[in-house]
Amino acid sequence: MKTITLECLRGLEAPARVAIRRQNGRCQAYLQTTSPRPLAQLCRRRPVEELPRLVTLLSPAHHLAAALALDRLGEVTPPEMAQNMREGLRLALTYRRHLRKLYFLLLAWENPWANGDSLGSRRRSHTFPPRLMDDAWRHLSLAQEAVAILGGRFDHPVTAVAGGVSRFLKEEHYARLAVIAGACRDFALSFSDFLASQVFLWGREEGWLAAELPPLPSLTLSTPEEQFVRRDGRGQEQERFTAPALWEKVGRHQEPWTYEDFAYFREQGWQHLEPTSVDHLFAVGRCPGSTAAPRPAPPPRLARWNASAASWGRCPAGSWRRRIGPSWWTSCRPLNRWSSSIHRRSSPARPSATYRRVGAGRPRRSWSRRPAGSLSRFGSTSGA
Amino acid sequence: MKQGANKKKVAVYTATGCRTCEHAMVDLHYEVNPLTHWAEVVFWPYLLGSAWEDLNGEGRVDVCFFAGAVQTADDQAAAVRLRDKSQILVAVGACAAFGGLPGLANLSPAGPEPEAAPEPSPEMPPLPPLLPKVLALGSVVPVDYVVPGCPPTPPLLWAAFQAVAGLGTAPARLGYAASRLPGPVAEALAAGLLPPRGSVFAGDKAVCASCSRVKEEKLFRRVLRPYQAYEESGRCLLEQGLICQGVATREGCGGLCTAVGVPCRGCFGKPPAIVDPGAKMVAAISSTIDSSDAEEIACLAEDFVDLAGTFYRYLLPSQCLLMATPMTVGKHEDHNP
Repeated sequence: MKTITLECLRGLEAPARVAIRRQNGRCQAYLQTTSPRPLAQLCRRRPVEELPRLVTLLSPAHHLAAALALDRLGEVTPPEMAQNMREGLRLALTYRRHLRKLYFLLLAWENPWANGDSLGSRRRSHTFPPRLMDDAWRHLSLAQEAVAILGGRFDHPVTAVAGGVSRFLKEEHYARLAVIAGACRDFALSFSDFLASQVFLWGREEGWLAAELPPLPSLTLSTPEEQFVRRDGRGQEQERFTAPALWEKVGRHQEPWTYEDFAYFREQGWQHLEPTSVDHLFAVGRCPGSTAAPRPAPPPRLARWNASAASWGRCPAGSWRRRIGPSWWTSCRPLNRWSSSIHRRSSPARPSATYRRVGAGRPRRSWSRRPAGSLSRFGSTSGA
Repeated sequence: MKQGANKKKVAVYTATGCRTCEHAMVDLHYEVNPLTHWAEVVFWPYLLGSAWEDLNGEGRVDVCFFAGAVQTADDQAAAVRLRDKSQILVAVGACAAFGGLPGLANLSPAGPEPEAAPEPSPEMPPLPPLLPKVLALGSVVPVDYVVPGCPPTPPLLWAAFQAVAGLGTAPARLGYAASRLPGPVAEALAAGLLPPRGSVFAGDKAVCASCSRVKEEKLFRRVLRPYQAYEESGRCLLEQGLICQGVATREGCGGLCTAVGVPCRGCFGKPPAIVDPGAKMVAAISSTIDSSDAEEIACLAEDFVDLAGTFYRYLLPSQCLLMATPMTVGKHEDHNP
């Protein structure tokens, strides 16, 4: 019998751990948590409609999952507006959670609570541009506002009930959500550009980032036409097919060490796992048999700037960072702007997001006193 | 108080809970940038990865924000240790304040361990044993202040931070919270003084006082469950037949849930004028049943489901007269700052 034990787990008290055991060809994974347990004891003898709130003891996603389970239990299909609201809530929660983790991941070199203000450590030299950290918090708050609109509260959303949602959206909500979604999308793209051009670049230089991810293809569901859309790593549409044809196109591969299936396109077959240069890290061969495009070459001027930035290297570490960090970033800023402008000009225009409107019920008084164009408590960002 | 000088040492800990109260604090940090000007977080396992050993070298902690219910022996030990270490202990969230959702476990006996649970071994040490019943923090150690809610709303949480750790250094942003706090707490907050010990950072009235729904005529004709269709007219949910606990719940949230069509769930606990929130709900509903026919009333009563779990959803370990464990909130003298 082989056992793999993962401990200690961040955010869970010891002796919380994950144990994966293989015996007689059968794998069994066991997550041991100290609390809250036993959850089944809380749910026993409670009305079923209580589940979406009771199980949020685990995470907000369980609120939506429990509502989905109740839909199936009652054999009801929520109206389209309710499905859209639930999906929007899930996306907003995911965005907020990821952005919060990225923020603390980037600031983990120092205790973000230790000294000065936390918003980008304005008064201290820091590895990353202060403005970026400010923007991260600002868009975190925007995502949080979207969660409050769609879920009713900042935390522990309450609106998903069996068969639908407990509220409808007004015109002001749609307008506000559109503004928030557009701003968050733009920030996510610029943030990913920053990670790719700055953080990963340094990581590869210093050796802690050994793996390079190829551009990821995607398979998304286009709800109005009820069709799956397959895109390559550059976002180019490859093909469309209907839901009944999904499993004719897509196969699932099961590995013995995980209960999660790996999806792959049948026409290209399962590509197997490939070892990477990092021990114990494997990549699924060439992006699950999809039409993974090679990484697009950067525009020539951007490539020249990347080479220039690489020759500059990163801001020196240690005590030197405190001394020359601000001036370093001041020097780099024009270069960054130049690089961004090149990138914007050379990149194809991104399609703007479209939002479906569903009947908003009878008009009611305004939910928000802020005009639809204003974005945050920090002031208007009308450019977004 | 001069910013940056003589910072208060703050500890944050969650026992049995979902850690959303800690998330609320993180979001509060975004909201109020100057927090770190007058507070230094010295112990926060969830966010900073602090270990218990980190507390040994810190001397005395000024303020400890304790979230989560006390369900295991480890929770109990943590509560005692943080009480000894802290000058001010604040119960944050419904779980620490009243027992919260984990307290519902007191209604049914514990079941068997899951089948996949391996036998205890040196590689797989056993989990900390469960206490006979889930307790609120105040039932284990004396508590100085309470911030209720699941999770507490940002304005009230910020008001608590200001009151016990900041001593009124930035009262400009307290407009919303001050209007919902009891008079003595709001005045102490504005004056930069510690509020009276035992204060609850929430209102004195019931949620109905701040709920935006229209109250017309309290006549209870039918029992509706949240998934059943009901009139979306902005009318009081209890009048429509939904079991809304706003009448027996302390205000402070501003009626967040009722504003989006979800009945109040009672996460702020009972107002001071009410002895037992469940009894209050029974009285409020039974006195407004729109019938004088005994059989009709009996049929109506049969439609209620899980009354104990509904009326004491967050409060069973501390505010149910029949099942509560005595609590100490703001009455001890050993740990005065």
